[in-house]
Amino acid sequence: MTKQQANWSPYDNNGGTCVAIAGADYCVIAADTRMSTGYNILTRDYSKIIQLADKSVMASSGFQADVRALQKVLAARHLIYQHQHNKQMNCPAMAQLLSNTLYYKRFFPYYAFNVLGGLDNEGKGCVFTYDAVGSYERVGYSSQGSGSTLITPFLDNQLKSPSPLLLPAKDAVTPLSESEAIDLVKTCFASATERDIYTGDKLEIVILNASGIRREYMELRKD
Amino acid sequence: MSIFEYNGSALVAMVGKNCFAIASDWRLGVQLQTIATDFQKIYRIHDKLFLGLAGLATDAQTLYQRLVFRHKLYQLREERDMKPETFASLVSAVLYEKRFGPYFTQPVIAGLSDGDKPFICTMDSIGAKELAKDFVVAGTASESLYGACESMFKPDMEPEELFETISQALLSSVDRDCLSGWGGHVYLVTPTEVTERILKGRMD
Amino acid sequence: MESVFGLVGKDFAIVAADTSAVHSILVHKTNEDKIMILDSHKLMGASGETGDRAQFTEYIQKNVALYQFRNGIPLTTAAAANFTRGELATALRKNPYMVNIILAGYDKETGPSLYYIDYIASLHKLDKAAFGYGSYFALSMMDRHYRRDMTVEEAIELVDKCILEIRSRLVIAPPNFVIKIVDKDGAREYAWRESIKDAPVAAA
Repeated sequence: MTKQQANWSPYDNNGGTCVAIAGADYCVIAADTRMSTGYNILTRDYSKIIQLADKSVMASSGFQADVRALQKVLAARHLIYQHQHNKQMNCPAMAQLLSNTLYYKRFFPYYAFNVLGGLDNEGKGCVFTYDAVGSYERVGYSSQGSGSTLITPFLDNQLKSPSPLLLPAKDAVTPLSESEAIDLVKTCFASATERDIYTGDKLEIVILNASGIRREYMELRKD
Repeated sequence: MSIFEYNGSALVAMVGKNCFAIASDWRLGVQLQTIATDFQKIYRIHDKLFLGLAGLATDAQTLYQRLVFRHKLYQLREERDMKPETFASLVSAVLYEKRFGPYFTQPVIAGLSDGDKPFICTMDSIGAKELAKDFVVAGTASESLYGACESMFKPDMEPEELFETISQALLSSVDRDCLSGWGGHVYLVTPTEVTERILKGRMD
Repeated sequence: MESVFGLVGKDFAIVAADTSAVHSILVHKTNEDKIMILDSHKLMGASGETGDRAQFTEYIQKNVALYQFRNGIPLTTAAAANFTRGELATALRKNPYMVNIILAGYDKETGPSLYYIDYIASLHKLDKAAFGYGSYFALSMMDRHYRRDMTVEEAIELVDKCILEIRSRLVIAPPNFVIKIVDKDGAREYAWRESIKDAPVAAA
């Protein structure tokens, strides 16, 4: 009998792009709703955004099976937190939990590229950006996933944040108003959809501010 | 590592209203080590025709020398300059000659053709032409450039606005690419004049 | 391991190289001169495969001499650099020479100049250049201390700094170096920096 070898991978890449922008009193989290594998589109209406707590929203691209497993773990951990503390987890705490959860599987990682957006205890917008094994950073804006190489330079151009080396530390939140930030996100995705085959169909935007949470949708190219 | 990413480069050309601009970065590296920060990637074929060569520097130099030679022969024989369309076909043919051992370079051709109509075009390393109405990009920063140009480009820009747009697109793109940068080099070409500008940029 | 580097000063250019001939784990000799005096006003420092280096540098030297005999005028440094690049580029897709070259020269019209030519035939004019493992140390040292208007004494001091750094920080550091200089008075050996002598061979 010929020697067998593993030609099977436990991972797939379902594509997709996520963007989050933090403002002074709001946070915008957006992702497209296309889910693909290779040259096939599996569905045009799959939400990559999940609300983890009252003021924490996560958008994830990568391998959606892993993303779902990750979301389930986070939901369970958050439920325990609520039972123990009788309150919702705040966004920076959720950010640390997400990092720990990802690093827990350091040697068989979740193939998930996340951005976590929300409001901190002062009601300021916050964005946390991650790699697949939990390295994370609080930033003013971020883009993850298949269209990130196209979107990031444009966000840099429009929202360049102060250098992290500056002392005293400068605020990373963007100077835009909420509606300007939403328009910017729409522009980004319209552009990324033109060139990235894994981004398209529909854009889902979640807006967090003092008055609560709101969802918006915009149609994207379907080719 | 791809051989196209050995030296690092960023190239972009954009069309405006009766004008065009072509821009590149300055870096020459050997993988992650920077050798020079004054390496020209855009060549002037004649006053209304520019050629940018991204990819492997040695092949860019060889290819440029061969193209200049062919263009000079054309000038002698025809007593006129080549049209951009013709030149693009020449580049394509010269590249396809080496179909099974290609020059590892991606050209960008930009020129003003008959009636000062702007013409831009790019090719793969074996000469498959890709004509565009708006902009073309090449090099290791091409993905970043696609994103930036797609968001910033508008049709029918006047020369000064075109210069601003292509410069912003180039600089924000190379800052997200490890293998290109160290400033920019922009040619802005209108029917009456050629403006060359040097951009300062991040040095990392 | 092999270290070749060079720089351009006020009215001269310097090339320095280690002098070890290494094969596998053996050091065959420590007084191998890797800087060829190409003609009266040119230096060619070369690193790479020993055989290719010897063969190729001599081939270039003889062809430069041939040109001078035929035409009665010597090649400029730029011309010699382009000729060298051309030969490397043609060889590249047949049987490549594994040699990296630093070509320094002095011309009446243009003054001192230095060219970087690697084995894949990328050519670039530089103020300072380095090849091999020593390049990591030589380049950083030169980035920090180099000035375009250096005197010979200052430049030699910088070269010595580079050599000291290579000797003290490179695991497989070569013991001996040779320094050569080219200026209006021609190309010549300037000095050796030896930390060991070759064992004397008993007379037969």
